[in-house]
Amino acid sequence: MNDYVYQAPREWTRLHPVSPLLGGWVFIGLLLAYWVHNQVPAWVDGGDDTFAFFDRFPFLWLVLAALLAFAATIGISIWQWSRTEYRIGDDAVYLRQGIITRQQRQARLDRLQAVDVVQPLLARIFGFAAINVQVAGGQKSGVELKFLRLGDAEALRNEILALAAGVKQEKAAGHDAAPTPDATGAPGVAARGTDATTIANPTTPATDADGTPASSASIRGHLAQRAGALSNPEAVLSGTEQFRTAVAAAEEREVYTVPLKRLLLSILLSGAAITLLTLPFVGLIAFVVFRVDVVAAVTAFIGTSLVAIVTAAAGLLGFFWTRLNGGFGFTAGISADGLRLRHGLTETRRQTVPPGRVQAIRLYQPFLWRGQDWWRITINVAGYGEDQESVSVLHPVATREEAIRAVWLVLPDLGDPDPYGTLGHALHGSGAEGGFTTSPESARRVDPFQWRFRGVRATDRALLIRRGRWERELFVVPHERTQSLGLTQGPIRRALGLADVVVHSTQGPVTPVAAHLAVDDAMALLDAQAARAREGRRRQTPEQWMSAVGLETGAGHE
Amino acid sequence: MSWYDNAAAPWNFVSRKLITARMVTMWIWLGLLIIGGLVAALITGAALLLLVPAAALLLGGWGSWLIVRQVTAHAWAEDEEDLLVRRGRMFRSVTVVPYGRMQFVDVKAGPIERALGIAKVQLHTASPGTDASISGVPAAEADRLRDRLTTRGEARLAGL
Repeated sequence: MNDYVYQAPREWTRLHPVSPLLGGWVFIGLLLAYWVHNQVPAWVDGGDDTFAFFDRFPFLWLVLAALLAFAATIGISIWQWSRTEYRIGDDAVYLRQGIITRQQRQARLDRLQAVDVVQPLLARIFGFAAINVQVAGGQKSGVELKFLRLGDAEALRNEILALAAGVKQEKAAGHDAAPTPDATGAPGVAARGTDATTIANPTTPATDADGTPASSASIRGHLAQRAGALSNPEAVLSGTEQFRTAVAAAEEREVYTVPLKRLLLSILLSGAAITLLTLPFVGLIAFVVFRVDVVAAVTAFIGTSLVAIVTAAAGLLGFFWTRLNGGFGFTAGISADGLRLRHGLTETRRQTVPPGRVQAIRLYQPFLWRGQDWWRITINVAGYGEDQESVSVLHPVATREEAIRAVWLVLPDLGDPDPYGTLGHALHGSGAEGGFTTSPESARRVDPFQWRFRGVRATDRALLIRRGRWERELFVVPHERTQSLGLTQGPIRRALGLADVVVHSTQGPVTPVAAHLAVDDAMALLDAQAARAREGRRRQTPEQWMSAVGLETGAGHE
Repeated sequence: MSWYDNAAAPWNFVSRKLITARMVTMWIWLGLLIIGGLVAALITGAALLLLVPAAALLLGGWGSWLIVRQVTAHAWAEDEEDLLVRRGRMFRSVTVVPYGRMQFVDVKAGPIERALGIAKVQLHTASPGTDASISGVPAAEADRLRDRLTTRGEARLAGL
């Protein structure tokens, strides 16, 4: 393993050979085996008729059948694995798979939206990971590679991101990337040989093919660094390990983490938890005050609608589990490759969203979080589907300070001279204070509680839409990410002189709407927003974010 | 200014043939209901069954009025940078789609629409919320519109 440096394959390559054994069916098999094991005494005694059906067959047959089923499952998995191959090119990640119907898929890197390194529980125990490459272009257009060694997966991710960022193109153009200290002698040559951003690693033939042997000093330096990295497995696990990978991970600066205490408290302060906790009290009150025979009532209720109760309970538990699993150890950081999010209790996920890929942000504060001033922040990223609520979280429970920082992560420049003040008004303000356009008084008829709290404001870079009196909600949509705009009005709004402006974003949990504006304001907003979106598209970050003018390529990868 | 009116580009109203197309589709179903109701009433002799064709007629009348109102309100405009689609009278909406956001364009025509020489042009963006379909564009114009949209989209193509 010491000499092993993972190189993202340019030729068709299979995934790691243990992949077929890491599927979820292993768990099911183990559970089944455990259950059978538990039942064996009853079976032998003959006291249990669960196995009456099997008793008709000789024992040996059963063993044979079980073995055959087991072998078939493994065989099919292995067969599937052997027909699954991937490779990366300069422009795309390719995957071909399928036993009966062959499928070839390429994820074009210029359409790359996010790269996730996912570790389901079983893979995590054994140190493996899957890579999800999300590209724009509808559902299921991404490529999922499972499984690779964790270190390999990290390396592949780094390389994919470097390619997508346009680092390679910069090199080809003879751009001199930040040289390493050993490279001072011959910057041009050494930069190609030693710079971590280059695809070729000094220890691989690729460099020799260039005819530029890397200086031995740089190799020694690399080896020393790698030895350091290997003696520090923590770094491998936390994804900060740099030197087993051909392309080092872009340096990351941590921006916030979510303390477990706050996460648990936030789950406790959810509507679902409160409902669950108050149920016994409702029962007690019913019993004490109204003399209802609670036990009988509950038994009768369970008797009549057990299915509904089980479904509801499963839903509640699912909600708690999703929140806990998704928010556990949530860490966000910023790197040259974009936003990095890390989270997960059993299944860990490391997301990298390159700059400019976040389409819209939603900050939401449920009523019960008002006391703490906590916010749940979700984002739209094209390629992440609607159903993937867990991958669209930017911050599961943010303090106000962190919420502003999270918005800053996505939009470093809000285009406002006083971003803190403006976001403060957006999060907590009401009325026209802070330059917001609010609903007119006629909106009171349809929107008695929150009409005063609705507001829209455009900064130079983004549109802010806020609403809500008891629960608060704020949408932030960068102008250059506006897909299209809509203006709608029904008969009631027409009578009241109101209209809604809808900002169409990509598929995801964020659907920004500025409701109940005065018609004139709405029409003016539509025109202005169309113009601002046009302006935004002109100056938007290029798809290959590292080749943007003025960005020091390589510096972040060092 | 009572409702959105784009000064930069003129509104192109969709073909009146769309009224015919929608009427035919609606009246085929209502006609089946009316005939079925009449036949059933004749066979059983139950006068109450006559309520079915009567209701269908009323519904058809209301529907026809709606169709005329909707179609005459449906229009599109091609701005310098955006395509604008306007629809509806009771529930009215305007959609503004920048050409650069266009992912692909569909031109669709069913049998009735083909017979009448009209088609539906639909512009897709990366957002599922974008409702930028124009029904009842004359077939030749639909092809030209599609080509125009594609050319403009390529010229102004922006990332997501």
